[in-house]
Amino acid sequence: MSMMYSQAAPGDDPLGIVAQGLSRRFGAVHAVQHIDFHAPPGKVTALIGPNGAGKTTLLLMLASLLRPDAGTILIDGRDPSRDPAAVRLRIGWMPDSLGVWGSLTAREILVQIARFYRMPEAGIRERAEELLHLVHLEALADQPARVLSRGQQQRLSLARALVHDPSVLLLDEPASGLDPASRVDLRNLLRSLAGAGKAVVVSSHVLSELDEIADGAAFVSAGRTVKQQSVLEAVQHGRRYSVSALDHAALVAALTGFGVEFRPEAGPRQTVSVFVTDDGAAAALLAGLVQAGVGVVSFAPAAGALEEAYMTMETERR
Amino acid sequence: MTEIMEVDPGSQGPQGPSAVRIPARGYFDGIRDVVVLELKQRLRSRGWYIMLGIWFVVIGGVTWLTWGAWNAAMNTVPAGSYGSTAQHSPGSVIFEVVLAFVLLFALLVAPALSANGVNGDRSSGTLALLQVTLLTPGQILWGKFLAAWVAALAFLVTSAPFLIIGVAAGGLSPGHIVVSLLMLALEIAVVCAIGTGVSAVAARPLFSIVVTYLAVAGLTVLSVIAFGFGMQLTRDTATAMEPSGYSAPATSDGSPSDVPEISCVPTQQPVFHTERVAWFLAVNPFVVVADAIPYSEVPSSRSDIVVNGPLESISQGTRHAMAGPEAPYSPCVNGVYQPQQSGPQYEYLKQTTPVWPLGLGIQAVLAGLLLWLGWRSLRTPARRLPRGTRIA
Repeated sequence: MSMMYSQAAPGDDPLGIVAQGLSRRFGAVHAVQHIDFHAPPGKVTALIGPNGAGKTTLLLMLASLLRPDAGTILIDGRDPSRDPAAVRLRIGWMPDSLGVWGSLTAREILVQIARFYRMPEAGIRERAEELLHLVHLEALADQPARVLSRGQQQRLSLARALVHDPSVLLLDEPASGLDPASRVDLRNLLRSLAGAGKAVVVSSHVLSELDEIADGAAFVSAGRTVKQQSVLEAVQHGRRYSVSALDHAALVAALTGFGVEFRPEAGPRQTVSVFVTDDGAAAALLAGLVQAGVGVVSFAPAAGALEEAYMTMETERR
Repeated sequence: MTEIMEVDPGSQGPQGPSAVRIPARGYFDGIRDVVVLELKQRLRSRGWYIMLGIWFVVIGGVTWLTWGAWNAAMNTVPAGSYGSTAQHSPGSVIFEVVLAFVLLFALLVAPALSANGVNGDRSSGTLALLQVTLLTPGQILWGKFLAAWVAALAFLVTSAPFLIIGVAAGGLSPGHIVVSLLMLALEIAVVCAIGTGVSAVAARPLFSIVVTYLAVAGLTVLSVIAFGFGMQLTRDTATAMEPSGYSAPATSDGSPSDVPEISCVPTQQPVFHTERVAWFLAVNPFVVVADAIPYSEVPSSRSDIVVNGPLESISQGTRHAMAGPEAPYSPCVNGVYQPQQSGPQYEYLKQTTPVWPLGLGIQAVLAGLLLWLGWRSLRTPARRLPRGTRIA
């Protein structure tokens, strides 16, 4: 929990998202139970959890669309229930279900949304142009949105969330349906938005991807926050490395000689995985193997840091 | 009516000036923007144009048929009888028949245009995109309603040529066409408001469309049925003098009188206090439109059958119902049967007691109530969601 509120605003209001004790149920289903969630400005915060864990419900509450049964939300210091207009000026929300006005063009959609945010008429055209450029949809700007592919609609949806230049971004599965090039674009875009001081929240299942984007992560399961930590912290709990060598027998012999516990991994190549406590231990192990004359071919983290943390969390729950 | 003005000159917000834009647009601008968004979509769907085309053909066909039927009827009626009197040129009847059909079809089309406005967006995931902007629930709802209304008014405009033909052929005043188009527009607005309100309350578009059709059926059909049954409950009796059969000739001098005198006795006759249930009729859209039209020719008192147009008859019928029972007809005068006092006088009720404000008022209350319920369900952050829906 160390990545919380180091940066406080010059005023009294904390920036970014501070949510405490959020609960929300739909009939008998407790979608969210007493979740604490923080997303500081200038950081990308990943929201991670299995299907049905309450991620979308949490994002809907943060987006001022759903009222929590209990708990408080502050978006840049403002409560969505009390002052929705002020909150809405500050949040950009990209839903997981792609709602698109199919018969409108991408440009028209952005212009309409800008009007709904009561942006001054003079700047709207340029803003739409800028956003179309940002998400690489200039060539399709005047096509009806329904002819866009899923990935293109996804990018349009992201542009829509950015129309009013919000300070908090809530992105529900933004990467799903994107081709690899668009994923790289998205990653760079999110990093630069965070760099510009925005609080960015990304929910995703693709954990390896989040590894490269996220500064921190909140793990949600069965409607509860299981853990909120930074990626660095996740790494510090130790992780598994997978190792393969030219001569598998020599590798096994060397590891046995060092007294390191290892386990063979499934895969096309003969690989073992070892658990190391931190980066220093990993470097030392690699050096030891090389000194022992083992022809190490690969030596890399077996899984992304968040995936590791996620899997550890899952195992802990069982 | 300006919405929350952001007076917060940038003490915070990491984005500098961009995060604290001052929203300079008013309530009505927001409504207009929603209407523009809606109409753009409607104007680009081919189905709407196809419906307009079908509409034009159908109304044209009805006009032509009415005209033909009138001419055919006139040819078979001997000259000089009631039908061909100068006061009732074909225009009046043709105009009213076409108007009635336009209203009928408008009542059929308006629910389809309005009753999936909100929940259709909800199921396609675009409603939340509006709710998360600075638009207020009221702006969204008014925008949806106005867009549906404008789309439905296009159908009215399409049928205007035929109404004008009817008015011109009958030599009616321009007031006829203006008032009737205005009333049609208002009735369509009522249906569109009902549809929009229901669509905001109900979860599924199919359900809300059916409910809106049922509401329209309730106003048009159920109102008449309710009046019919309700009238039975208002049955009362009144005493009237009735001839009691032949009595012995009673003359003072004993000579037989040439006219047998019939004595009258008080008898109980059923009367219906229709004025107590006439408001059922008043909510009928046909009654509202029919009653608001200024009928130019008012026959002062006619003993023969009056050929009114269908709408004029509806209006007259409703006003009679509103007026309640007259003193029961009795052929007796001063306790004596006087056969020369023939037949009840047909009385044309003048337009001094209009029914339509009552009907339109009740309709407006119903529509307003549904819109209010719809507005409640559009408020965000939402406390409750329609069962089985996700907000996004």
